[in-house]
Amino acid sequence: MEPEFTVLDSLRKAVEAMPDDVPLRLHLATMLLQAGQRDEAVRQIGAVLQRDPGNAKALSMLQGSGPEPAAAAGQPPADPPVISPERPGVPAPPPLGATQPDADPGSHPGEAGKTSHYDWSQAEDELRDVLPAMFVGDGDAADSASAGIDEADAYDAEQAGLTLADVAGMTEVKQRLEAAFLAPMRNPDLRRLYGKSLRGGLLLYGPPGCGKTFIARAVAGELGASFIAVSFADIIDMFVGQSERNIHELFEVARRNAPCVLFLDEVDAIGQKRSQLRHTPMRSAVNQLLLELDDVSGNNEGVFLLAATNHPWDVDSALRRPGRFDRTLLVLPPDAAAREGVFRYHLKDRPVAGIDLAKLARSTDGYSGADIAHICETAAERALMDSVRRGEPRMIGTPDLEAAIAEVKPSLGAWFDVARNVALFANEGGTYDDLAAYLRKRRLI
Amino acid sequence: MIELRQELARASAMLDVRRFDEASELLARVVSAEPESSRAWCLMARAHLGADRYTEAVSAARRAAALDPADEWPHRLASNALVHLGNYADALRAAYEACRLAPGYWQTHVCVAQAALAAQRLDIATEAATRARGLAPNEPDVHFLSGKVSLARSDLAGAREHQERALALDPGHSGAMNELGRIRLRRHDTAGAIRHFISAARATPDERIYSRNIDVVLLRTVSRTIYMFTLIALILIWIPAVTHVDRLPFVIALGTVAMVTAICFAWMVLRLPREARLLVRRTLRTPRVAAALALALGGVAVAFGLVAFTPAADLAQVLPVAVVITVAARLAAFAALRGAVRKH
Repeated sequence: MEPEFTVLDSLRKAVEAMPDDVPLRLHLATMLLQAGQRDEAVRQIGAVLQRDPGNAKALSMLQGSGPEPAAAAGQPPADPPVISPERPGVPAPPPLGATQPDADPGSHPGEAGKTSHYDWSQAEDELRDVLPAMFVGDGDAADSASAGIDEADAYDAEQAGLTLADVAGMTEVKQRLEAAFLAPMRNPDLRRLYGKSLRGGLLLYGPPGCGKTFIARAVAGELGASFIAVSFADIIDMFVGQSERNIHELFEVARRNAPCVLFLDEVDAIGQKRSQLRHTPMRSAVNQLLLELDDVSGNNEGVFLLAATNHPWDVDSALRRPGRFDRTLLVLPPDAAAREGVFRYHLKDRPVAGIDLAKLARSTDGYSGADIAHICETAAERALMDSVRRGEPRMIGTPDLEAAIAEVKPSLGAWFDVARNVALFANEGGTYDDLAAYLRKRRLI
Repeated sequence: MIELRQELARASAMLDVRRFDEASELLARVVSAEPESSRAWCLMARAHLGADRYTEAVSAARRAAALDPADEWPHRLASNALVHLGNYADALRAAYEACRLAPGYWQTHVCVAQAALAAQRLDIATEAATRARGLAPNEPDVHFLSGKVSLARSDLAGAREHQERALALDPGHSGAMNELGRIRLRRHDTAGAIRHFISAARATPDERIYSRNIDVVLLRTVSRTIYMFTLIALILIWIPAVTHVDRLPFVIALGTVAMVTAICFAWMVLRLPREARLLVRRTLRTPRVAAALALALGGVAVAFGLVAFTPAADLAQVLPVAVVITVAARLAAFAALRGAVRKH
């Protein structure tokens, strides 16, 4: 991994965490310009101007005379910083307001740092106060993250930064989460009194784009634990190379960071029914995962297992036995309050006026959070095109959003088709009773 | 080279977990960087096949075949996609080419059998299936395909034997369960067929064809019930004209026909598993099925009313009208049901 990507990623995360921090955004915009990522830089400058319309630095950057990155960070650079191309051998486009880089664009960033005297480690240090560490463990482990995909300890252990109070609506899900998972975790004395075991993890399932990952993060926040998220791409990377070792390393990282929520997103990818994996090396990966799960439940304190999937019926039943992912929680499409919250979130950085959130929430029953994000995007696009036609900018209004709702259809139909099959034919032992009840309530079965 | 291998391994892993779109995206990047990699093009074809993009799958497979003419896999992939595109002649040609390149590999014979089956060349399909069984007697897919070929030849006993063998080798083989359902259906055992379709849907809920089969069988049963009911009504309508009976026995006959039909239907439904009974209730409540039942019952009731309340002397004029009403009711009911089947 190239160092400037680490810095940029860190900055992006910092901006996500503190969206109203104007200097931080400006710093990110400057770095993006330096890296040749002009489009994203302009977006960031736009966001700065939204918060601080008269910001001179942002305006000057837009006009093409932005400051150098080190200067923006309060460190005068000795030489203009070297901008590495996104891909080795491909020269980056000249940044807005910056001179053409004088170093070899194909050279390794580390070498480039030497030739330009730009101190990358210093730049990383400057960010340390702002951000949690990108990689857990010691410095060597962090360095080895860029060595290759076999290095499984390249997982972020971060603070969740939100709690269930940040999840709008979804009262039912929160209540079930509290009863099934959080209450026993938070009350060790009562837990001991009632002989309640801490064994096992929680499997969140439901249609795509309905906030499972967000809820998992909020659970980590509730428990005051650090959070390791393993995405589908990470899971696939585990299979390339020594999958058993990679999975073991992942759990080791979680144990080192206890208390820690280890969240396996799209767990069906790793926990596919082994009968379907007869001819693939993934079968051994599933076996290793089972071993690790048993180890976590037997010997380790402070590692809480969460997983999410859109297809729990594809998850190996061995993964769902007691002591593993033995509790399930259905995360349904957002309710009205949650939909209001999702609208508010996606519109907060856009120029809006007179938005009737309650009305929009009523019109989007059955839409996922991702659908609502798409609606906001479509409405913004509509307002933008209208502004271009008229020659003057205008705010996004409720009519734009209503037109977008008419245009964007709910994307959950295909998922509910499969869910109907499951509720009708595969609900053995009442595993999917809550899903069946929901489908009956919505007259889908 | 190592990076290409890793990327291909990553794509393979994605395909194994049926993430066809993600795999396509990754492979698009790989083939643009390494356009001479035959394996990358093969994986690309597989990803397109999985995502039902058959034309693109054929292009990718042909590209792979051009890069590595000695490899049989691209031809099998092309054959599979061409079958889906309805180009059976080319599909069979591609399958034969795969078979020529790797005659000792059972999958190439399965490929020939599949293409021949789609092209209705049952002799070729039978021969290829037999060869595949000889090469891989313990492969469930070989027996599954042999069963399909037997069913196409109307050899129901042979088809059942092959599908049961496939299930013995792989108890979770939902395709074999579905085929057993189709065999039961050929034997007019609706309840048995639905049981097999339910097993298939339970084993693979992601596959919508199994639940669709259940819906279609239920609609077909409703359709047959309406057919029998209107047919018997059509015969009964002639009774007053022939036998000059009073109105009361005639009305009783109508009531008896309706009741016997309802009892037969209920008896069939009661033999179904619980899940299917739920589906029957839902099917009967759908607007099109409810409309079909109302049309059939209403039409027959009107025709019987006409006949029952007409004096014996005028029956000759009324009877053709009653017959036309009954037939029209039946046709209208069938049209409504056909709409429901299309919707499914």
